[in-house]
Amino acid sequence: MSSLMGTAALMTQSDDAHAAVEWAEHFQKNYRLMTAEEKAEAKARLERRYSAEYGKQVSVDTTDAQPGVLMGYALNIRKCIGCRRCVHACVAENNQSRGKERAGEKIEWIQVLRMERGKFEAEKMNHGYPEGLGIQVGGNAYTPAGQVLEGQYHYNPEKVPEEDATYMPIACMQCEKPPCVKVCPVRTTYREPDGVVVIDYNWCIGCRMCMGACPYWARRLNVTNPVLPKEEMNPVTHYLGNRPRMRGVVEKCHWCLQRTRHGRYPACVEVCPVGARKFGNLLDPESEVSKILQRKNVFRLKAELNTFPKFFYFYD
Amino acid sequence: MKKIAIYATILALSGGGLYSVVAAEKTAEPAAAAATEAATAAPTEPLVCFESRKGASEITQQDIKPGWPNVKCSPTTGAALWYGDPFEGTVPMGKMPGLEKLPEGHALVKPRSEKLAILPMCGTACHNGVGPQFNPPTLPKDKKPTAIPTMEGLVPDLATFQHGRGRIWCLDCHHTTQRNKLVDNFGDPVSFDQPQLLCGKCHGDKLRDWRDGIHGKRIGEFASNGKKRWFTCTECHNPHNVQDGVRNRGFIQLQPEPSPQLPKGMANADHEKVHPIPH
Amino acid sequence: MLTSFLTDYTRYVLKGGTKFYAWMGTLSVFILGMLYVYYLQNTDGLIVTGMTSQIHDGLYFANLVFLVGVAAGAVTIVFPAYVYHHEGMHKVTVLGEMLAIAAVIMVMMFVFAHMGRPDRLWHMIPIIGIYNFPHSMLGWDVLVLNGYLILNLICGFYYLWVKYTGGKVNNKWFLPVVYVSIIWAFSIHTVTAFLISTLPARPMWFHSMMPIRFIVTAFAAGPALIILAFMIIRKNTRFWIDDSAINLLSTIVTYCLGIAIFLTMSEVVVELYARTEHANGLYYLMFGLHGLTKLVPWFWSSVILMVGSFLFLIFPKFRKNYKVLPILCATTFAGIWIEKGMGLVVPGFIPSPIGEVTEYYPSFVEWLLTLGIWAFGFFILTILLKGAIGILLGEIKYGGAKAVAAK
Repeated sequence: MSSLMGTAALMTQSDDAHAAVEWAEHFQKNYRLMTAEEKAEAKARLERRYSAEYGKQVSVDTTDAQPGVLMGYALNIRKCIGCRRCVHACVAENNQSRGKERAGEKIEWIQVLRMERGKFEAEKMNHGYPEGLGIQVGGNAYTPAGQVLEGQYHYNPEKVPEEDATYMPIACMQCEKPPCVKVCPVRTTYREPDGVVVIDYNWCIGCRMCMGACPYWARRLNVTNPVLPKEEMNPVTHYLGNRPRMRGVVEKCHWCLQRTRHGRYPACVEVCPVGARKFGNLLDPESEVSKILQRKNVFRLKAELNTFPKFFYFYD
Repeated sequence: MKKIAIYATILALSGGGLYSVVAAEKTAEPAAAAATEAATAAPTEPLVCFESRKGASEITQQDIKPGWPNVKCSPTTGAALWYGDPFEGTVPMGKMPGLEKLPEGHALVKPRSEKLAILPMCGTACHNGVGPQFNPPTLPKDKKPTAIPTMEGLVPDLATFQHGRGRIWCLDCHHTTQRNKLVDNFGDPVSFDQPQLLCGKCHGDKLRDWRDGIHGKRIGEFASNGKKRWFTCTECHNPHNVQDGVRNRGFIQLQPEPSPQLPKGMANADHEKVHPIPH
Repeated sequence: MLTSFLTDYTRYVLKGGTKFYAWMGTLSVFILGMLYVYYLQNTDGLIVTGMTSQIHDGLYFANLVFLVGVAAGAVTIVFPAYVYHHEGMHKVTVLGEMLAIAAVIMVMMFVFAHMGRPDRLWHMIPIIGIYNFPHSMLGWDVLVLNGYLILNLICGFYYLWVKYTGGKVNNKWFLPVVYVSIIWAFSIHTVTAFLISTLPARPMWFHSMMPIRFIVTAFAAGPALIILAFMIIRKNTRFWIDDSAINLLSTIVTYCLGIAIFLTMSEVVVELYARTEHANGLYYLMFGLHGLTKLVPWFWSSVILMVGSFLFLIFPKFRKNYKVLPILCATTFAGIWIEKGMGLVVPGFIPSPIGEVTEYYPSFVEWLLTLGIWAFGFFILTILLKGAIGILLGEIKYGGAKAVAAK
């Protein structure tokens, strides 16, 4: 093995140790099947490579799911003003690629949809078709109103919220029955005991079946080598969370595992200026998400698909 | 007549002076500009970003340890985008009915009183609680609305004041004799750091949701008994301007952060504004 | 005996006239181009393609799907030959198997082209990796495709081997294997259809008509390509393919194309009558959404090609006219390639599951890589067909080289 590593180092013509680290990474097992020892090795290997690459002390956490914790999320869509602070907090926390030069170099896990409030018009009352035969489609049909998953993602007004719009942020729903996990040919993506669907980035083959299977368009593909400036890199990482990814693999929201496994709120929750984002332990009846489920009317996006998200939308 | 003119002049002068103090509170305004500058030039002056809304709490960027700032600010809007230390500059919330179960020191707030530079002066210069130093003003004998040009000069929002739609007035919220305090149902003073004790008088449903973490915002540890910084009412809402809130889901309008990158193959996003099906 | 088979075979397929070398040379140029852009794609990443996080399956996946159909289409020769004992077909069965081998190889190359991390494909190999079976439909697809390749290699080369040595086919095990391969041919395309039709996230694909549509389009496009190959073989080699074989194939093409058009029509009626949100993909394909209409010309040209070909093919007058037939086969092939490739794969992503409408067009890298893989496929197909024909003609024969030398 060591001679193999040596050869690899020669092949890549770079610093021997660094190349050996990378080479060993290619042969590591799926994270879920690693022994504690192998996990420690993988962790040390990654910490060494990342620290060298980003010029600072990078930690790669391997904390397991905490007993008695099933994570849940709730979002008050009446409150959301569409300011996209969550989107950018997520990027600051999770080491996404943030290039600007080429399309595809910038990855954001949260999408904020701007939907029309809809307007019913008196002038259209007598319109519609077929005309003269008894109207079947009224003139006010096609008026968008309510949650329609149809609108703008690239809105950019001077100020939000706009009067004629409502907003709906969408990211990974951490489904209890995730279709993405089912279709993965190598089980690189799977559900952790605390309810978060994670990806072993080192095991992903980039087939993108999971992206096709996700009804929420939560997954993103690293179409190129991620652009992550050293000074912007978040050095506190988790193996299954925000550690820097590589070209050709899929990534998505993981509810900031590197934070939440240590009890801290996800980054998006902390910056939401209107407090629309709520996060907590579904097994704790006193947690804010449990209280929301007890007290408020909630809905799951695309509930008809039986994915059973642990991300709930609610109204005040 | 002459006497009144002198008083008026004094009032106007002190009013102007006080207003400049109030204006100092609005340092969040240049934060955005500062943030963009910082992106290009070396950050010589400290980067200050606003937290929830402009004009309320702010936070100054600094490194806790090398490469680990306490906060990251948006280069576009100057808003706080990421917290390295969620508890910076916080103090214990104080007694709050319903939160007694929380362990000591686990409920924290960012003191608002030190942001309000005008506060100490309110209590000494004009409203020291000992009655008329000069005439007017006097201590009001009841809570009936009276026009006070000085205060309107100090707090411009008062010109369009609509909170309660004419059914409440200053002294329903501000303490009569201790003007650097708010007031509760019994007439006892309430700190500006605990506005929830005041607001909850009327907005009981919101207070209940806030107490349970459903309404408003908390940062720090997510466990129900975890250590959290609680954002108080006035960090998000401006009680002197509720009409904008009604229009905007209880919140003032903000500049949004930049929109996502256009995917390859798309020149612009104009198509989003077109209805999907021509009709 | 085996070594002499290999040397005779290799010697035979490497020899040829100017035309042969020109053909192979041209293909090689494309193959070299493919290697270069594949290097680019695997150093810079898929950013060099037109694919995005919104539309993450493109030309590669479209060709993959289509070529699985071509591979399955080979069964249109094997089935009549072995089940109906069709005389003309029986003579050329092995050519169909060679086509299937070439098509499956191309499919596998498109799999490599499609992957974000082809270097990690070993993660799918059981024991050393994790093979998510039976949950992952892609796992099923890998299984059936590899199985089909092996079955065709066995059937094709065993038959050639027997012809080469002058022995007799051992029907005891050969026939069962052939029957398995016939059923297997259906399975590869069914599973490929399931690959996309089992995703409720993509309503455009999420209907049970997908497998049968895949199979009928495959049984139209596959034999269309085979007829073209047969025409070329008849013209350029001494190997004669019976009219009866070609006529049967063109009949199959006609019926299957007819059913394919019928199924497409049914889908259009069902989707557009109710015109739910789930019809947005099809609507984008046919008329465009939000004023974005990049795929509209593709769809309508495919409609014209398919319906036009069908209208001619139903008349035996045209079908049996071997001057017109190749043109009709080419138009059928092109029509189905568009319908099943770009016309089926891409609009599945438009709009995205959360309603974002974006467009896709293949980049130069994608086109060149695709062309290169097709060129490689034709390269292999030429060799396989040439070798097979040589054996069938008796030009490669055990001891044949010596006999020729003795002459």
